[in-house]
Parts: sequence; C-alpha cells; structure tokens
Amino acid sequence: MTSAAIRLEQVTKTFDSRVVAVDAVTLDIAAGEFFSLLGPSGCGKTTSLRIIAGFEHPDSGRVHVGGRDITDLPVHRRDMGMVFQSYALFPHRTVAENVAFGLRMREVPKSEIARRVQAALSQVALTGLEDRKPSQLSGGQQQRVALARALVVEPPVLLCDEPLGALDRKLRQQMQFELKELQKRLGVTLVFVTHDQEEALAMSDRIAVMNKGRVEQVGSPTEIYERPRTRFVADFIGEINILEEAGVARALRPEKIRLMPPGGARLAGKVETANYLGGSTLLRVRAADGRSMLVRETHVGERASRAPGDAVGLTWNDHDAVALEG
Amino acid sequence: MSATRNKRPLDAGHAAYLALNALLLTFLLAPIAIVLVFALNPTPYISFPPVGVSLRWFGKFFAGTEFMNALWLSLWVASVVLVLSILIGGACALALARGNLPGRAFLTAFFMSPLMLPAILTGLALFQAYLLSGIGRPVWGLILAHTLVAVPYVIRTTLAVLHNFDRRIEEAAAVLGASPARVFFEVTLPLIRPGVFAGGVFAFIVSFDQFPVSLFLVVPKGETLPVVLFNYMKFDLDGAIAAASMVSILLALSVVLVLERLIGLKAYVKL
Repeated sequence: MTSAAIRLEQVTKTFDSRVVAVDAVTLDIAAGEFFSLLGPSGCGKTTSLRIIAGFEHPDSGRVHVGGRDITDLPVHRRDMGMVFQSYALFPHRTVAENVAFGLRMREVPKSEIARRVQAALSQVALTGLEDRKPSQLSGGQQQRVALARALVVEPPVLLCDEPLGALDRKLRQQMQFELKELQKRLGVTLVFVTHDQEEALAMSDRIAVMNKGRVEQVGSPTEIYERPRTRFVADFIGEINILEEAGVARALRPEKIRLMPPGGARLAGKVETANYLGGSTLLRVRAADGRSMLVRETHVGERASRAPGDAVGLTWNDHDAVALEG
Repeated sequence: MSATRNKRPLDAGHAAYLALNALLLTFLLAPIAIVLVFALNPTPYISFPPVGVSLRWFGKFFAGTEFMNALWLSLWVASVVLVLSILIGGACALALARGNLPGRAFLTAFFMSPLMLPAILTGLALFQAYLLSGIGRPVWGLILAHTLVAVPYVIRTTLAVLHNFDRRIEEAAAVLGASPARVFFEVTLPLIRPGVFAGGVFAFIVSFDQFPVSLFLVVPKGETLPVVLFNYMKFDLDGAIAAASMVSILLALSVVLVLERLIGLKAYVKL
C-alpha cells in the first residue's frame, strides 16, 4: 500500500466569521506515520481533520498530500479513508455492501470487489458477518466494519476521528493494539484525532497537542510527556507539578519526585491524601510554605510507604524540572 | 427445574390504562362498524337493528355508472396527487432542511399554511382564481388543488426523517469517492424514502377523501367520488352510501398496506 505525506500550511478556519476554530496551523506529517491530533474539545483538532478530508474549506492556507496541493479538490476526489466516531455505516446496506461501497465508486470489476471485500473483512476478523446489517452488530464489530470499509480502497491516508471513543475501556485497549499493528503492516499514513492523552501516547509516532486552534507542541510521545514546552501541554498530559522559581515556571512529573525523611530535603511537608492506584499511589503533599505537590510512589511492597498525616521530605533532580515557555 | 415467574400485579392504574385504551379503540372503530352494518343490511332505508345480511348495496354501487366513473376519477386523481406531492414535498423538505435558506422558519410555515387554512376557503379561492384567469375547471386544475393541500403532509414527514439524519453517513460516502449526485441517490434518498412515502400515503388519502376543495372545482359528469356521494345523499339515503364508504375505507387501507409491504413504513414509525 502506498502512503503519502501531508502538509498543512498556515491553515486558518473561522466559523460564523467570529469563532476561530483553526488558527494558522502548520503541520508536517510524514508518509507512513501514525500522527495524533490531541487536545480538549473545541481545540480545533476535529476541524483540522475535516479540512484534510475536504469537508471544510480553509479560509486561508494550503493543504498538500503527497506533494500535491489538494486545497480546492472536492472530498470525493481526494482518495482518502476515514473512520468516524459514530462509525457512520450505511444502515440500509449489509456489512459486505458497506465495505464494497468505495470499490463500487471506483468502478472496480465485480469479481475483484468480492475478492477484496473478503480480504478486508478477514483482515479485521469479521469473516462470516457479510450479510448482517450494521444494526445487528456490536459496537466493536461496527468499528471494524468502518475500518475495513475505509481500508479496502487502499487509501494513502487514513483519517480517524475519535474512532475508539464509543468503546468500553477493555475493548478500546484491544483496538488500540490492533489499529496500530494494522497501520504498521499497511504502512498507511494515519491521522488520529483524540482527546484521550493515554491513547495518543500509546499509539502515536508523533503527537501535535492543540489548544484554542493553535498547535502548542509537536513531538514524539516521550518528548511530549517528558519535555513539555508550554504550561498547557504539561498540564493537559498526565499529572504535573508547576514550580515557580525566580520568574520561571518549571514542570515536574509526580513520579520524578523521591520521598525521604524531612531533614535535608528540598521541600518538607505533610501527606494530606493518598490515592491508591494499584501499581502506584498518588500522594498529595502540603509543603510547609503552603504549596500542594503531587507525588507518585511506585509500590515496592503492597502499598505506599507513607500515609496521610505523615511528615515527609521531597527531592528531585534539577533536569527533571522542565522550564516552560510563557 | 422450575423458575418462579414474577407476575405483575393487576393494580387499579393498570386496569384504568387498559380500559382507556379499549374506550379509545371503540370510539375509533365504532363508526366503521356501523357503516359496515348498514352496508350489509338489505332494507331500502337506513335502519337499526339490521334484519339480515346481503350484498345488494355493494351490487348497486358497483353497477352504477355514475359511481364507477367517479371512483375511477378519484383513484386516478389521487394517484397523480401522490406522485406530484412526493416530488414537490420531498424537494421542499430537502431544501428547507439542507438549503441554508434565509428565513427558513418563515418558509416552513409558509409551505405548511395549506394545513391551517380551512379547505373550503382554499376551494373557494381557487375556484375564483381559476374562473377569473379563464382556466375554467379542468381535471389538472383539480389535481393541482389537491396537490396544494397534500404537499404539507409530505413535507412534514420528510422533515421529521431529515431531522434525525446523521450527516456523517453522507460524508462517509463522499470520502469513499461518491460524487454529490451519487451520495444523494445511494445514501440520502434510500434513507429518507420511508418518510417521503409515509407522507405520500397521507397525500393519497387526503386527495381520495377530499370534499370541500373538490366541491368547487369539479364539473358535472366529472365529479369525484365524495362529491357524487354527497349529491346522492341529498335525494337517497340507502345502503349504497354505506357500501361506497366501505369501498373507500378498504381502498385507503390497501394503499397503506401495499406501501407498508413495499417500503416498510415501520422504519418511519420507529423514528
């Protein structure tokens, strides 16, 4: 399967001439990359995806796919695959007819359609359900049909708009593995919109964190998590402590903090609450100067070594406290 | 192994609910039952209790040329009205729901207005307009008048379906390579069809039963069944009227059943 690079160049989209949904966004997505757009609702991630798909036309800026400017190309000529959160299966057609739709639009010969539909369905482990209607399938199965329908036309680009959002936790995790495996096997460029930071960290090659229509940071999951550039990114992904020191804000992850006796520690305080999380415990420590700090203690024994009311000392390495812009 | 089943206790509220349902059904069905009794009663005048069962009034109805001509005219007019109102009403509903038209609320109310006007006024107004403009009273004038009254029913049922329509389904088709025209015929039309046809059933019945509008717009020897029945009743009140009513009811019912079988109105009723 071929894959294509995507380039958004200073793309801006305003709705009702007031609300700026996407604000001068520039992104370079490499061919074959699993790229996530991550952010809270209203951050512009879905609008960006819809601009790539062609459902929205940018007010200014250009969209390139595979080196070609497709900004003014209508949706049906863009040759992309898309999976929607609501799956958007055709309710009046069977599973096989749903999957065959894109091939039919491309006027692929009937015998080849039958063969490729079978192949696509077996790829997502749905063989045998060809004649069901979407309403007779479970959420996970509908998800797979939507995936097969998008992939059967072998698009160079696959767009996913929170495709796992409607699944329960266990199934979502399983689909995360499957989708990532499938993407690597096919080599397709995948743009994945999600508000779930864990999902983005687990699946992506690179992540763009968006806020208020702008891209705050682009980087690998490790970079985004370990070296957040802005306060928003640090705050949006995982738990964080923000330290203000000499006019500079620094982000410090709770798991980078070590517990020790109060004497000689960087910060002394008292444990206020301890949230047991299974493999670790998240402690909230009230420092002597009134600051509240989050500390994650990974268990060695059965439970955390400190309990609410205990006096503790906190320490950390300088390079773990990441300086933030703005 | 025997499982004990919890029986729902028949409390007073539930009993009242059932009684109310029975009452409503009786109220709806009793007139039809009375018509049937009169249609089958052989006495030459409408009387109660019936003295027997005979098909003589059905015979008289089907043998009467005036009745038969009127019946065929009514069926023909209603069929054309059904087709016209589906086309016009369906297109109107799509434009209203999708067109981003300015003053959409006003336009919707405007297209629905034939429902609010008393039909007798519509009939009178059209009669005067036709005469003044020299059109006279041709059959197509009657068909247009019926269509005017029937279109709002199609608009309303189609709008209901469009209101619940997930547009992502159309977007999915477009991404897969369907041009706007193909999206319409492959996705939009099949999905709104139940709503359009449900409106079409109403349109057929509204035309087939139409009396006040028709009264002004039919010509002698070119009268629809309701007008002929009304004229007949002015001089004779025998079982032929009841027989004609039964035939009308059965025809209307069969249209509903045929459309239900063909396109599944159930899909619409579910919405």
